[in-house]
Amino acid sequence: MAKTVTASVGGHRVELSNLDKVLWPETGFTKAQMIDYYTRVAPAMLPHLKRRPLTLKRYPDGVEAGHFYEKECPAYHPDWVQTATMLSRNVRQKVNFCMVDGVATLVWLANLATIEFHTLLSLGTDFDRPTFVAFDLDPGEPADVLDAAWAAERLRDTLADEGLESFAKVSGSKGVHVYVPLNTATTFEETKAFAKATAQQLESLYPGRIVSNMRKDLRGGKIFVDWSQNDPHKTTVCAYSLRAKARPAVSAPVEWEELAAARKRRQPGDLVFEAWEVLQRVEDFGDIFAPVLKLKQRLPK
Amino acid sequence: MPRAIWSGSISFGLVNIPVKLYSAVRDREVHFHMLHEEDGQRIKQQLVCPAEDKVVSREDLVKGYEVSADRYVVVTDDELEALEPKATRMIEMLDFVKISEIDPVFFQHPYYLVPDEQSGKAYGLLLAAMRDSERIGVGKLVMRGKEYLVAIRPYDTMIVLETMHFAEEVVSASDIEEMPEQPEATERELKLAGQIIDALADSFDPERYQDDYRDAVRALIDSKVEGREYIMPPPVEEEEGKVIDLMAALEKSLARAREQKGGASRPAKKEKAAAGAGGRGRKRKAS
Repeated sequence: MAKTVTASVGGHRVELSNLDKVLWPETGFTKAQMIDYYTRVAPAMLPHLKRRPLTLKRYPDGVEAGHFYEKECPAYHPDWVQTATMLSRNVRQKVNFCMVDGVATLVWLANLATIEFHTLLSLGTDFDRPTFVAFDLDPGEPADVLDAAWAAERLRDTLADEGLESFAKVSGSKGVHVYVPLNTATTFEETKAFAKATAQQLESLYPGRIVSNMRKDLRGGKIFVDWSQNDPHKTTVCAYSLRAKARPAVSAPVEWEELAAARKRRQPGDLVFEAWEVLQRVEDFGDIFAPVLKLKQRLPK
Repeated sequence: MPRAIWSGSISFGLVNIPVKLYSAVRDREVHFHMLHEEDGQRIKQQLVCPAEDKVVSREDLVKGYEVSADRYVVVTDDELEALEPKATRMIEMLDFVKISEIDPVFFQHPYYLVPDEQSGKAYGLLLAAMRDSERIGVGKLVMRGKEYLVAIRPYDTMIVLETMHFAEEVVSASDIEEMPEQPEATERELKLAGQIIDALADSFDPERYQDDYRDAVRALIDSKVEGREYIMPPPVEEEEGKVIDLMAALEKSLARAREQKGGASRPAKKEKAAAGAGGRGRKRKAS
């Protein structure tokens, strides 16, 4: 039943194709369900996408088949899709990123089987200024998401000692992401140096459980605190983005108390949220990640 | 890989063993779709109100309990939800009984209980203790908003949980009216019958029995697939070129997805103690 329908979304016309296509074979979650999810989660997710250059992770044949990263906004994009051009230091390279400014662009991208939305840490108006510091806490087998949660809480405490408030989201599989909102003048040199020093400090506090070195062979059973994403060319998965995992799980913002509660109950499953659960959470709690966009903080000198 | 359908813990005495529940049997039946013979199109079902001869959408349905002929009381989903037993995520063991005391008629569906990584020891202990005492646990479990009577028993190297029928669900023999008299047999007849049984006596080997009908249906389908006897329905032409509202565009496809997975886009209510334990209603204010 390959057919196309033209839908009106937020005042624009968007062609939708292959809505019945199953993108998550294990659960039968279809493209229509994904578009439905993104439409419903848009009120919480859009602020985190707005003005932010985007890398698309597209899975035309579902999460079990191949995918491709797309930095360059597809040339056939409708003229109402916003883009931002990044001139690389390497002058020959010029990247034209898509930016999502409304639900129409979100739906258009989802229809291209964009499952994961990865954003730069800076805005399209100022590529050199990150608006937050990002840490990606990645457990090495056999450590799991509960260990990552433990490390995230230690990171939060270390940051709090510096007078910085931080916010957590789950990766959608085994990791936990910790964001430190800045929204003040800074540079990637500063944020990267700060993130690296913080990761090393954590490693020295908990040498048996935390590692700050990227080398895979050092990670076994430990939590790798990845500080290297604080880079003008790197992207992190956007809050509320679906993940291309076996089930339609979401990179969902969580309260610190939830991390602690999951650890106490020893339930890794408590830190995996599927699309419908995230919609319920947004309905119940609103966007608990909103402070990441608003809270103004400065890195210690 | 089968998926866990529930997780919680076995609680007995002072011990708590975190476990996940996996179905111990799977559906191997061959399922068919209904097609329109003429063009092979999958047919769809519609809910129709005969009074107005109008298609009714699911949102416009309520549940009615028939009190007497054509007289209903309406019960809302909210009302039913309020009555659902609280999901405690505990399999609470109430009694340990001899397995011979439970007739198999009470057993409903078997599940494997799988302990989490750290709980292998406690799990093994419970398994060994049940084996040694030759007793199995009887308790209760709340799953999918329903309370179940369950038995847990050793099976191979695992603990099996059997959901069970409550006593009032089991039809008693005296309720079956067509049951004829059973005049007593003579000793000779009894002896003869005993000999026949002895001649067929064997130990139970489940591998020896197959579902012959299912295998025959499978073979039939395979031969048709091999002979490329496909029907390919023509594409449905739908509102080509017409601009419709996004939700209207998605609706049909969403309904199809729901039908195919029996609503699996929203799995059986997964309760999370943590969800909201800290955060409920506490919308952070940015400073």
